[in-house]
Amino acid sequence: MAVSRLEASGGEVQNAKDTFYELLRSRIAAGNPERTIVVRGQTRPGVLVEENELVTTATLPDCFRLRWTAAGVDTANALPLVALGCEILYETAGSAGNGGMDRGRALAAMDAELTAAINASPQFAAKQNYAGLASGGGVVAMNTNVWWGNVVFGAAVVKSDRVARTATVTVMSYEEAGEL
Amino acid sequence: MNVTTETMPPAMRRVRAYFAPVNRSAQQATIFDPAQQGMFDLDAAAAPWIDLGWINGFIRKSGTKIDAVRSGAPAVTQMQSRSEVEATVSFQFSSWGKLQMALASGTQQMNLLATQQGAAAAGSGGVAIAAVALQTGSTASVLQVGATAAVGFAVGELIVVDVDYSGQIGFVGSGVSGAYVKTALTDVDYVRRVSLNVGRVNAVQGGALTLESGLLGGVPSAAMKVNGVVGFCDREGSSFFQEWSALFVAEGQQGERVLWHYPRLQAMASVGEAAVASGGGLESLRQSSAFRALPVKDAVDGESVVCFRSFVAGS
Repeated sequence: MAVSRLEASGGEVQNAKDTFYELLRSRIAAGNPERTIVVRGQTRPGVLVEENELVTTATLPDCFRLRWTAAGVDTANALPLVALGCEILYETAGSAGNGGMDRGRALAAMDAELTAAINASPQFAAKQNYAGLASGGGVVAMNTNVWWGNVVFGAAVVKSDRVARTATVTVMSYEEAGEL
Repeated sequence: MNVTTETMPPAMRRVRAYFAPVNRSAQQATIFDPAQQGMFDLDAAAAPWIDLGWINGFIRKSGTKIDAVRSGAPAVTQMQSRSEVEATVSFQFSSWGKLQMALASGTQQMNLLATQQGAAAAGSGGVAIAAVALQTGSTASVLQVGATAAVGFAVGELIVVDVDYSGQIGFVGSGVSGAYVKTALTDVDYVRRVSLNVGRVNAVQGGALTLESGLLGGVPSAAMKVNGVVGFCDREGSSFFQEWSALFVAEGQQGERVLWHYPRLQAMASVGEAAVASGGGLESLRQSSAFRALPVKDAVDGESVVCFRSFVAGS
């Protein structure tokens, strides 16, 4: 079956999703360089997008997992305004050295890192198109920005020896002519 | 210039306010040039602009009246004219700093000077402890008071720096006029009671007081003295009208900005607070304020105006 241009690039909202992920990842890495994960043998900052990774039943602790949820488009504008729901899931068992008794503190530290990364000014960034990377090309800066609201924290949940939380943020962007 | 983003309405989170002094004696406002400064760093405004922080409920109203000039039978509007020009602006300060409180009070705000032991009670503060003279080498953020006097100050303490009152009539206060004296007074500390030249001690070392930030009035003169301040007080029924140059900035999500510049604002309402629901069943108090704009002449064409609204696009 032939793959359309939109499907190849991930659809019209992919640029906004990729841009937000890249920015969040760089801000988390700047705030705490020691928060890293190993995925498929590669060490990288402790932020991943679930839908971009292999399906697995295992849940990585001590990292932020982005899950894109709701999507809405307001067409009553000169440019369509897209609002994307993003859940950020994370959990921790604390450190082995402390027998896990610091898991509450570890979760609070992750709360603080996420707050600093998302709520820091500016809460917008130039939208980038990463589609070219798949074919050896470069990242292309687009004409509009991606922006987002403040992070909203859900309740802490006990998961066996781990304590977990889901935070949410709404990410918005205008869809440019080239994306439609 | 980005033609794509300029078709969209600015999507803003909140409005930020900036203050600059008006030379009351000369009726000289501070003018903001949006062409040169429109994209300034919001966290580091260039002097003399001072960050007042975020504000809530920013509402501006035009009271300008436009009348129709009619002639003929039946009368038909032939032209229009402006018979009155007026603009007001109201909002709530999110912060309770000295400057925000002084502006919101709309009149002179008194510094509650640390009092002498046993001083007679007074509504805006009793007789103050004798002020400490400044020594040579003082700057806007480091006050040389000498080792003996320095022990009388503590880290975290508020201080005010200004001249003695010695019979002056007219506007008083360094950096910003804090009050207008109509008849001579006898309180040697009166200027320091109304001065906005206030700071907080960050360190006491080697006979010097280091302040958290520079004094609003800049480098103090040798004639200035220091008093400790325990708080602030404003009075309903007070006669002075505070006046300031104002700049309000709303930043859109494409990097664009809307800037409202009121070169001369005077309070049009007395001090008040708005209680806003906060977490845990608490209410937070925000200082409500309302101001009326006064005119300046635009140097470009001599028009008498009360407000400039500018739109500058991000790169």
